[in-house]
Amino acid sequence: MDKKLVLPGEFISDDVERAGEGTFVDDGKVFSSVFGVASLKNQIKVVPLSGKYIPKSGDLILGIIKEITFSNWIVDIRSPYDGLLHISEYPRRIENTEMSRYLNVGDAIMTLVVDVDVNMKVELTLNDQRLRPVKDGRIVDVTPSKVPRFIGRSGSMIAMLKNETHCNIFIGQNGRIWITGKDRDMDLAVKAIKKIEKETHVSGLTDRITKFLKEIKGENVIEKEPDKEEKLRTEEKTEEEKTEMEKSGGILDELLGDEK
Amino acid sequence: MSKPEKLIENGIRLDGRRPDELRPIKIKVGVLNRADGSCYFEFGRNKVIAAVYGPREVHPRHQQKSTSAVVRYRYNMASFSVEERKRPGPDRRSIEVSKVSREALEPVIFQEYFPRSAIDIFVEVLQADAGTRTAGINAASIALADAGIPMKSLVSSCAVGKVDDTLVLDLFKDEDNYGQCDMPIAMTPDGNITLIQMDGHLTRDEFTEGLEMAKKGCLAIHELQKAALIEKYNSQLEGEVNDK
Amino acid sequence: MTNEIMAELRKDYIYNLMIKGEREDGRAFDQYRELTIDTNVIDKAEGSARVKLGDTHLVVGVKIQTGTPFPDTPDQGVIITNLELIPLASPVFEAGPPREDAIELARVVDRGIRESQAIDLSKLCITPGEKVWMVFIDVHVLDDGGNIMDAASLGAVAALLTAKLPNKRFDLGDDVNVPMRDVPVSVTAVEIGGSIMLDPSLDEQSIAGTRLTVTSNQEGNISAMQKSGVYPLTTEQINYIVDIAIEKAKEIREKFLVI
Repeated sequence: MDKKLVLPGEFISDDVERAGEGTFVDDGKVFSSVFGVASLKNQIKVVPLSGKYIPKSGDLILGIIKEITFSNWIVDIRSPYDGLLHISEYPRRIENTEMSRYLNVGDAIMTLVVDVDVNMKVELTLNDQRLRPVKDGRIVDVTPSKVPRFIGRSGSMIAMLKNETHCNIFIGQNGRIWITGKDRDMDLAVKAIKKIEKETHVSGLTDRITKFLKEIKGENVIEKEPDKEEKLRTEEKTEEEKTEMEKSGGILDELLGDEK
Repeated sequence: MSKPEKLIENGIRLDGRRPDELRPIKIKVGVLNRADGSCYFEFGRNKVIAAVYGPREVHPRHQQKSTSAVVRYRYNMASFSVEERKRPGPDRRSIEVSKVSREALEPVIFQEYFPRSAIDIFVEVLQADAGTRTAGINAASIALADAGIPMKSLVSSCAVGKVDDTLVLDLFKDEDNYGQCDMPIAMTPDGNITLIQMDGHLTRDEFTEGLEMAKKGCLAIHELQKAALIEKYNSQLEGEVNDK
Repeated sequence: MTNEIMAELRKDYIYNLMIKGEREDGRAFDQYRELTIDTNVIDKAEGSARVKLGDTHLVVGVKIQTGTPFPDTPDQGVIITNLELIPLASPVFEAGPPREDAIELARVVDRGIRESQAIDLSKLCITPGEKVWMVFIDVHVLDDGGNIMDAASLGAVAALLTAKLPNKRFDLGDDVNVPMRDVPVSVTAVEIGGSIMLDPSLDEQSIAGTRLTVTSNQEGNISAMQKSGVYPLTTEQINYIVDIAIEKAKEIREKFLVI
């Protein structure tokens, strides 16, 4: 078995060379540091079942303005650390006195983490074509550690979601999802997202969600029950792929694809 | 009630337990919506609930630590948790219990992962029957795991005491009131003691024996804590498959 | 602690639903969330109840002990109601003595019980001028999912209905039920953009400008009211809420709070 549920302090492996996120090494052994699902292929890592978003530079996220100071917007990013958006990071030149006219408290932004320093000062920007204030649609919060499953293997989950719901969907690394589309389509997308959030660790997730959406829409579904072995294999691949996705900035590609 | 003549008769305690037996334990993980992690823990007649919030922003700011998270622990008894109504709010006892409980958990938390943040642990005692601090630590440790806080291990806690010159595990109220000693401990599953307090009277040999007894109790509790967390995960999976 | 920030988009969403006559969880405007009340959950208390109203979860404990009556009511027992918004229950609650919100909630719960004369205080007298029963109602909020007000007053009444006067403990004979003669039920409504909704969820409560609580008794008379929040209500709105609150209270009483 390459995946298993582990508890904090649970022994996982002797192979300290491959110890990754969600683990710690003690006395030449790898232990889990969190309550989560361990995967042993390639890197040994544990994806926690819950937890806060910890910002890293390069993350594309959704923030909500919580305060305006003399030259910064202070941005809630669902993290222990606030994001700072300096006035100069707004795509056009504006005066300090008119900051709230462009972004007011409660407004949402699609933003990029430019830098996180040792003091956990998180600098954000909007100075990029892909980034913008979010003026319409809906925002749904999910567990940040589950974000890769919302994207799926090579973006398969999000592609399917968009396709089936006819919505435009952006998944922030901080577990905030932005949906735009027709009201009824957005209702559908929100339902699917809530289901994924609940069923993250059930096998055959993408198939299950596809079926779920088609059923709601009243489309006929051709029953196809892959045998258990095959389901399991698919899941493992997903897990593996996920690691790759995170590294290659899969969300970013996804987003760029959108813009074209 | 007044002091019973005997607290142990023919090797059986007033509540029917053997000297080295724990009270029944019931654990439920993830019982609160607002908290990041939570746990309900019944330990005999004790009923406690623990919630964890964080890591989150530190208020007031001067409590911030630049290289690690600050861990805060608030142990609080509901007014109706005891025979004689307790005045709401912290008293000297609950402040001390909060301090030692926090120190019982801090060694296992990877605080350095979250500089300038706070990890808040709240323990509410809904019903008290001796051993509330140990119940609180057991619950808090599970709530931390439920919140996804990185830890070296869980922490388990129980008390050992002496009644009628006999060492007994996990005192209940009458034994606590009329016994000769109470010694709560907390430890990690690999045997590191993270809390020890004692009041009363023990011989040197009784202390050694008592500590071993308490350690065994903690290990038994550790198994139940693990099972409760796994149970939460499994029940979620089952729920999902069923409502399909 | 900072207040939680709510995205404008989310406010708009709830507001727009309301205009269409809908609520996020699919309820009708006059519909309560799922309600469960369990009594006798704390055996150290003389009476207790656990209430779950949607995502709101709280425990009420009733402690009863003897004390001295107030000089102006020497032959009547005493009710003291306390409610705490402990930091376990919400990221925005802080430790420390109750602030105005908690005190307001406690006082409204108290008024409903006191003014409906739900407890026959004269039967709580042991020795006139010297010794009476003191009834402490303590509300312990565990999870704030909105409308703590109604959950707290339901819990208080449910706990009282199962509470015993601990005569034995004070050498006064056998334990007897607390002398209850009415069952007040509070119903809270919020106003959002001109529409009235009962039993607000947390988000509805945050968006609403104002809420109105109406506590009515078995006869359908009003025992207590409280408007809370900065926005005014029209006379029509208030009349509408009073009517619907009395009707709803009857429903809830019959289903959950039988003497």
